[in-house]
Amino acid sequence: MKDILIPVLLILLAPAIGGLVYGFERIVKARMQRRTGPPLLQPFYDFLKLADKRKMIVHSTHAFLGIMHFVSLWFALAVLLLGGDLILVIFLHLLSTSLLILAGYSTRSIFSHLGANRTAISILCYEPVLILIAVSAFMLTGSFDTSSIFNYGASLLFKMPLAFVALLMVLPIKLKKSPFDIAEGHQEITGGVELEFSGIFYEAIYIAKWLDCVFCYTLAYLFGANDPLLGMGLVLFVFLFINGLDNSSARVNYKQMLKFSLVVALPIAFINLLITILFLQL
Amino acid sequence: MKLNSFRKKSPWILHYNAGSCNGCDIEILACLAPKYDIERFGIINTGNPKQSDVLLVTGPVTKRSRERLVEIYAQMPEPKVVVSCGACACTGGVFRGMYNCEGGIDQYIPVDVYVCGCGSRPEQIIDGVIEALAILEKKTKDLEQSIRLKKEPVKEDTQLNRRDIAAEIKEIA
Amino acid sequence: MYALIISLFILPVAVSVLVLILPKNLSRILVIASAAILSVISFYLLVSIEEPFHFGVSHYMNEVVSVADILLLLYFGSVAIRKKSWLVGLLTVLQFGALLYLLKIIPEEYQAQFTVDKLSVFMFLLINVISGIISIFSLQYIDGEDCSAFRKKYFLSILFWFIAVMNIIVSSDNMECFFLFFELTTLASFLFIGFRKDEISGKNALTALWMNQIGGLAILGAIFFIIHNGYGTATFSNLLAHSSVPGILLPLALLCVAALVKGAQMPFSKWLLGAMVAPTPVSALLHSSTMVKIAPFIILRLSPALKGTPVASVVIAMTGFVFVAAAIGALSQDNFKRILAHSTIALLALMIMMAAVGTPVTIIAALTLVFFHGLSKCMLFLNAGILERIFHFKQTSDMDKLAETGPFTSLVISIGFMSLLLPPFGAFMGKWFGIESLGVLAINQKMLGAFVIVAIACGGAILSLLYFKVLGLLIARTGDHDGVKFEKTKPLYSATISILLGLIILSVLSYPFLMSHYFVPVASQTLSLPIEVTIYGWKLHVGAMALPVVPLLIAFLLLPITIITATFIRFKNVDRVKEYACGEKTNYSFSSFYFATDRATPYFSVIGILFFITLIVVSIL
Repeated sequence: MKDILIPVLLILLAPAIGGLVYGFERIVKARMQRRTGPPLLQPFYDFLKLADKRKMIVHSTHAFLGIMHFVSLWFALAVLLLGGDLILVIFLHLLSTSLLILAGYSTRSIFSHLGANRTAISILCYEPVLILIAVSAFMLTGSFDTSSIFNYGASLLFKMPLAFVALLMVLPIKLKKSPFDIAEGHQEITGGVELEFSGIFYEAIYIAKWLDCVFCYTLAYLFGANDPLLGMGLVLFVFLFINGLDNSSARVNYKQMLKFSLVVALPIAFINLLITILFLQL
Repeated sequence: MKLNSFRKKSPWILHYNAGSCNGCDIEILACLAPKYDIERFGIINTGNPKQSDVLLVTGPVTKRSRERLVEIYAQMPEPKVVVSCGACACTGGVFRGMYNCEGGIDQYIPVDVYVCGCGSRPEQIIDGVIEALAILEKKTKDLEQSIRLKKEPVKEDTQLNRRDIAAEIKEIA
Repeated sequence: MYALIISLFILPVAVSVLVLILPKNLSRILVIASAAILSVISFYLLVSIEEPFHFGVSHYMNEVVSVADILLLLYFGSVAIRKKSWLVGLLTVLQFGALLYLLKIIPEEYQAQFTVDKLSVFMFLLINVISGIISIFSLQYIDGEDCSAFRKKYFLSILFWFIAVMNIIVSSDNMECFFLFFELTTLASFLFIGFRKDEISGKNALTALWMNQIGGLAILGAIFFIIHNGYGTATFSNLLAHSSVPGILLPLALLCVAALVKGAQMPFSKWLLGAMVAPTPVSALLHSSTMVKIAPFIILRLSPALKGTPVASVVIAMTGFVFVAAAIGALSQDNFKRILAHSTIALLALMIMMAAVGTPVTIIAALTLVFFHGLSKCMLFLNAGILERIFHFKQTSDMDKLAETGPFTSLVISIGFMSLLLPPFGAFMGKWFGIESLGVLAINQKMLGAFVIVAIACGGAILSLLYFKVLGLLIARTGDHDGVKFEKTKPLYSATISILLGLIILSVLSYPFLMSHYFVPVASQTLSLPIEVTIYGWKLHVGAMALPVVPLLIAFLLLPITIITATFIRFKNVDRVKEYACGEKTNYSFSSFYFATDRATPYFSVIGILFFITLIVVSIL
C-alpha cells in the first residue's frame, strides 16, 4: 500500500512540486546575481494571474496541441514515478515533446517555427544519450523497470559515474538552460514554441515546464535511488550545477550544441555502456 | 474566487520602442538589471505581447511604427495597462508637430499612466509601473475602446477576430 | 488446401491475361472482385494452416522452370543489346553460364518444390491484401496517366502478374524456382520503372536491373556451393537441416547478399531511389510494401541457421550502419517519394537486423515491422499519388498549404507518418522491442550489441527529426482556416485510403491480440521453438521480455486521438489573434529546414561495399 501511495501522491503533487522548484530556482538565480529575486510562490502567482486573462488563440489546433503536451508529459512522468519501463518513459517523453513541436509548426509564425525546428534538433541531441544510459542501467540491473533500479544493491552513481556525467551534459538541453537554451532563446526568438500561447492556454506550457523540472531531477535521483540521502544530494548538486551553468554561460548555436552532444556526450555514454557490459555485468 | 489580487503580483512587461531616442529604453533595461531588480515584484520582461500585462511604450510614435504599435496592443489579452514612458511617449516631446511623428501614443491606444521625464529615471518608471498595477487590479476583461481600435464580432461565434481588428490606420482628419 | 494455394498462383495470372482482353468496365469489376477474392483466400489460409504444408507439382514443372529461366536471361540479353549496357550484358552472360552449368550438375531427384508454412501465409496476407488495395487504387490512377489505352491495360496486367510471382516466391522451397521468381520480380521492377519511357526512367530501370541481377547471381552461387559441397538438393529446408555443418556459411552469405541487394541496402540503395520515377502505385507495391520485403523474408527463413554465426554479425553491423546512413541521407531530400524511399531503406535495415539477430523476440519485432511498415508505407505512397494527381505537387516544400486545401489528405499522411515513428503505433513497437531485446543480445555478443544500440538510438532520433520536418508542414495553417471541411477526391481514391486507414487503426488497437495470435505462432514456427506469451499484471510477457500494455494503450488514446481531435476541435468564445511577427502584418511563407547531408553519400557507398566484402570474406574463413 505504502509503495503505491507515495508515487501516486508524488504524481498528483508533481505540478506543485515543480512550481516550488521553479520558484526556488528563480530565487537561487537571483542570489547568484546578488539580487533579492521574486518570492518563492511567484510561479503560482503567475499561474493564477494567467488563469484570469481574456482567452485568445491563434487557432484551435494549436491551442489543443499545447494542452495535450502538458497531459502527455504528466503521463510520462506518472509512468516514470510508478516504476515503469525506462525506454517507454523516454519514448513517452519524446511523444509529449513531439506534440509541442507540432504545435509550433502548426502556426504560420516565424518564431514558433524556429523554436520547433530547434526543439526537434535538441531531441536529436539528448534522446540517444538517454537511451544509452537506460540500456546501461538495464545491463546492471537486468530490467528496464525503474523499480528495479530502486531494488538494485548499489547506487548507480558509483557503478556508472560516466553515465551520470553524460546525463549532466544533456540535462541543460532538456531543461532549456543556457548554454543550450537555443530552443527557447528569450532574447533571440522570444520563447520559441511557447510564444503563440497566451492566457489559460499558455498555462499548460508553463506547468509543463515545471513538470519537466521534476522529470529531469527524478532522472538524477535514480542514480542514488537505493540511498535517499545520496539521491537528494545528487538532485541538489544537479540543481546547483545547472543553475550555476545557466547563469555563467552564453548561448551556443544549434550546430555547436549538436556537435557537443554527438561528439562529447554520446561517446561518454557509449564508453559507459561498453564498460558496463564488459566489466560490470551480472 | 477573485483572482484580481494576483494580477499585481506577476505583471509581465512588454517594452515597445515607438521611435524613441533610446534614452528611456536604457532606463527601462536598467530597471530590469540587478541594481533595481524589478523581478522582486514578479515582473518579467517577456518581449511577447501575448503573455504580457503591461505595455511600456517609449518614443513619439513615428508614422512607420504606429501600425505595429496598434497591432501589438491588439495582441495583448485583456486586462492590460499601458504605461507611456518619457516626454515623447506622453506628448510627442521635442518631436511634437514634426512631419514624421504623431503627438504621443494616446492618439492610438488608451494610456493608463504617463511617466514624465526626458529620459525618465528608473525610480520614476518603477513608480509608474506600480501605479499602473493598481489600475490593472480594477480592470475588467472587456475590450477597451481606443481611438483606432474597431470592434467587429465574428458572426457565428461570440469571439472577436483580432486578426483584422487593428486594420490600416488612415490619416487623422 | 492445395487447391486454394494453387489458386493464389493461378488466379492473378488469369486476371492478368483477362485484363488485357476485356473492355474497361468489365476489367474494373474483375480487378475489384479478384482483389477481394485473393484477400479472402489468404485470410482463410492464415486461419487454417497449422503445420508446414509441403507439396510438389508434376516434375515437368522443373523443365518449365529451366526453360523459363533461359528465356528470361535471353530477354535480359536482348535488353542489354538494345540499351547497349555492358553491365547488364556481362551479368546476364555470367548468369547464363552459371545456370547452364547448374542445370548439368543438379541431381535428378525431385522433391517437393513448395512449402507453405506460417511465414509464407503471413507474407500471403500482406501481399494479397495490399496488392489488392493498390490494384483498385491504380484503376483510377492509371486513368490519368498520359499513355495509350493499351499501355493502361498492360500496366494492370503486369500488376496482377507480379502478385502471382510474389505469391509463388514466398512459398517456393526449391532454390532454382526461387531464383526464377526472384529474377521475375526484378523483371517486373525493370518494366515498371521504365513504364513512362522517358530518358531518366530508362536509365534508372537499367540500374535497377543490373543491381538486382547481382542478387540473382548470388543465388545461383549459393545453389552451386550447396550442390558442390554435397549437402544434397538446393532447397531452403535442406539448407536449414544442414545448418550446423561447417562450410554452410558461404551459401548462407550469398543468400544474404541476394537479400541485401533486394532490400536496397547501401551501396545498392541507388536502385530503390531511382525507382521512384515509376508511377506511384508501383512505388507503393514494389518498392515499399511487398517486393523489397523479400529481403527480410529471406533472412527470416534463414534465421535459425544464421543465428550467432559471423555472417549474422556482419549483417547486423551492416544494417545498423545502413539504418543511420539512410536516415541521414533522407534529411537532405525534398521530394516526397524520395523521403519515403529513404525511410523505407532505413526501416528495411531495421527489419533485416532484427531477423538476423534471431532471438524469438527480435523475430516477432521483425514480423511486426514488416506488417506495419507494409500497411503504413502503402498508405503514404498512395497519398503521394493523390498529391500528384489532385493537388499537383511532388515536393514536400509545397505541402505547407495542404492542411487548408486538403485537410483529409493531410490528416491521413500525418497518421501514416506517425505510425512510422511514434508510440504507440506498430513500427514503434518493433523499434522498442529491438532496443529491449538487443539489450539482451549484448550479453552474448557484447561489442556488437553496444554498437547496434547506438545505431538504433541515433538512427531513430534522426528519423524522428525527418518525420517532424514533414509533419510540421502538414499541420500548418492560419487562423482563418479554423474550421475543417474535408475535400472531395475521386471515390476509388478515398475508398482505398479509408480501407487502409481502417486496417492500420484496427491492427494497432488489436496489437496485443495480433501479437499472441498472429506474430508469435509465425515466429515460433520459423524458429521451431515454442514461445510463451502470458499476460500478467500490467505486462505482456513474451519469452523473457515484458511489454507494459496498459501504459501503451493509454498512450494510444493520447496520440492519434490528439491529432484527430486537434484537427476537428474548435474552441468557442475565444478570440482569434494573428501570429506574432513583431507587429508586422506581412504574410510569411515557410519551408522546412534543410540539411546538406547528400555530400556524405559516396562515403556511405564505400563503407557499404566494404561491408559486402567483409560478409563474403567472413563466410569463407
